[in-house]
Amino acid sequence: MPRKKKVPVISTRMLPQAGITEVKTKEGKFLLRNDVMFTAMKHTQGEFSDFFRSIRDEGKLFGHRCPGCQHLIVPPFMKRCPSCDFVEMSKEYVKDVGVMAATPVITVFAPSRFKGEVPFGTGRVFLETLDGKLSDTAMLLRVRTTRGTIRPGIYGKGTPVKIAFRDERQGEMNDLFAVPQSELTAEQVARSPLLESEIEWGKLAGMELGEPTLERREALKEVKTRFQKLGEMVSQSPRATANLAAWRRTVTVQTGGGAFSFVVEKKKLRVQDETAEKADLVVTVAEPSVLLAWLRDSTEGMAEGFGSPALTDLVIDGTLVLDKPELETITRLDRVPRSLRRDQIVSGTGRS
Amino acid sequence: MRDVAIMGAGMTPCRSRWVEKTFWELAQMGVSEAVHDAGIKIQEVEAGVAGIYNDIFEFQAIPESGFQGIVGLQNKPLMRVSNGGATGAYAMLAGYNMIASGQYDLMLVLGVEKALDCYDFEAESATPAVVQTIGYSWDPWFERPLGAHASESYAEVIQAYMDEHPGDLAPLARAKIVELFCEHAQNNPYAQRLGEKVTAEQVLHSRYVVYPIRALETCVYTEGACALIFASGEMAQKIKERTGREPIWITGVGAANEPYFVGNDITRYKVLHRIYSDHVATKKALEQARLTIDDIQVIELHDAFIPQAMITLAEMGVVPLGRANDLVEKGIIMQGGKLLVNPSGGLVFGGHFVGGSNMMSTWSVMRELRAKNLEHGLIHGTGASLSMYGVAIVLERRA
Repeated sequence: MPRKKKVPVISTRMLPQAGITEVKTKEGKFLLRNDVMFTAMKHTQGEFSDFFRSIRDEGKLFGHRCPGCQHLIVPPFMKRCPSCDFVEMSKEYVKDVGVMAATPVITVFAPSRFKGEVPFGTGRVFLETLDGKLSDTAMLLRVRTTRGTIRPGIYGKGTPVKIAFRDERQGEMNDLFAVPQSELTAEQVARSPLLESEIEWGKLAGMELGEPTLERREALKEVKTRFQKLGEMVSQSPRATANLAAWRRTVTVQTGGGAFSFVVEKKKLRVQDETAEKADLVVTVAEPSVLLAWLRDSTEGMAEGFGSPALTDLVIDGTLVLDKPELETITRLDRVPRSLRRDQIVSGTGRS
Repeated sequence: MRDVAIMGAGMTPCRSRWVEKTFWELAQMGVSEAVHDAGIKIQEVEAGVAGIYNDIFEFQAIPESGFQGIVGLQNKPLMRVSNGGATGAYAMLAGYNMIASGQYDLMLVLGVEKALDCYDFEAESATPAVVQTIGYSWDPWFERPLGAHASESYAEVIQAYMDEHPGDLAPLARAKIVELFCEHAQNNPYAQRLGEKVTAEQVLHSRYVVYPIRALETCVYTEGACALIFASGEMAQKIKERTGREPIWITGVGAANEPYFVGNDITRYKVLHRIYSDHVATKKALEQARLTIDDIQVIELHDAFIPQAMITLAEMGVVPLGRANDLVEKGIIMQGGKLLVNPSGGLVFGGHFVGGSNMMSTWSVMRELRAKNLEHGLIHGTGASLSMYGVAIVLERRA
């Protein structure tokens, strides 16, 4: 079913206002002119039209097979086989199941046009042919999980996957994605096409927090104090302030020792005692000491080495759980400690 | 084919942003330095090659057109080369061939790039826009719509290699190489990250940009230029008589591009866990130079990402595939080891002005050959989706 909703190709917020700014450096004052390299497209899908129509209208995939060497390529990126004197290849439908060619990767920092989608997984799939073999080429796809944020360990090389389709499709690669077969029922794996709405997507939050012990409550108290201190340090650091530019989020943090919230707004970071009524993001972590270790690293500098991995790592390994797949608040916070070191707000081994 | 010599090299400082200069002036600065270093006048130069990676970075289609006159090649041929991350090395290959074929005797080979003019007004940050601009290098039908981009693509190769060789590319080995290249960069007066100290521990605790690659394992974005002066053997002799300075010789060149689509048959498709282009390019360059990898004393690698650079060294034969940890654990490339790698700090610390980065590598190897009385060095360039372009160039100092 074609997509009904009208969506602009790029966010209008990416378009600059006409104007010229002046920057001052050690060498003088210089002008920067706002501009865009602007070319809208009605972009030819040409010989691939049939492939994308098949995805859109039928939820089916096909490749091209060479009558000479018998290689089957998916997607059908060429019509003639250069290894066999450019003999014309024939269309051949493939199954919507396959295996990962390698462990997928997880994008945390994305290009402009994909920055609202992180973290996302991408990997290559060898699709099963109708006679039970595999295609000779592997197709790049988004890989998803029904169990929260995409993270390492869900997929590996050879993981059997099912290709699922969005309910509303317009004939493009984002109309389909891979899901591990192990996360689906046998009936779902057998159904073709399997639609996104026919998959049960697990809740992203809902972690069991355990008892709020005295130790956890004490840890949380220090977390809030240190977070506030971090906010004050950000204001003193031009680099850290820039890390939070153009970002506004109210974030509730739920821990096994209680909850609090913080606000990123106008390049500043401030802590609120209570949970936010309308949080943009909910971060859940059982042990507040996990956050405390990161905050100690961030506010004390590196004299005694690191006590914590980056927050992004903690999300990727499942220690911190987000209620939606929106990582940008976390990646922005992760840039702050190095900025504080480089601006010498905290001691450390940054730029000397 | 005739012998080809490099008579001089000229660098601009590498900076993340040159608001003070356009790419026209950066180009002129590089060329001016190079002709002075070579001891020639630009009027003697017969032709030029300009490596510029990306029109969007320069904010102009056919960006090299403005060079004619600015760099002093009016009414002479100037050919622009654009081959992804390997643009600089491919531009050198073009210049090499134009002299080796006998067509010209004295040439300019220039590489220049802006980058950080790209700006994401929504995020109020340049980096997402720079990453997006590079992301336009992926095909518009099958891969770019999925968010494929440079780090994602190289991470695929790195991850696939780690699937094939579990335990290799160990985090600590990678982190120690970052620390090493940072130390090297402190001896490069043009390095972007001069004065910076990055420790292995910092690397291990830096955030992921694309799992499994961390922020401190990635190359930087750089604006700058580097120019080289190439000469035929006969011309090199004449210039040497004038300047008294020994040239550095190009004795082997090799290049290979892997296919765009992934499969298991290495003769037909990109095999994800290999950087076969680096293997083929290095083999060809060494064969032409009549050397083996063991004869090479200094390598300037295109380290877009540190784990990729480790795979590249394995593809070159410095260590077997699957044993890249040995580079660190056996001290092969560490301080005092048998092989000097990225004395400039590489692209992670020296800088990565894409069209000219491989020329910076050349400047660095020339400097090392002369300063340390070494004989043989190797330049490497990679680029495009899945690190599919590979170039290797052997340099020789004749005592």
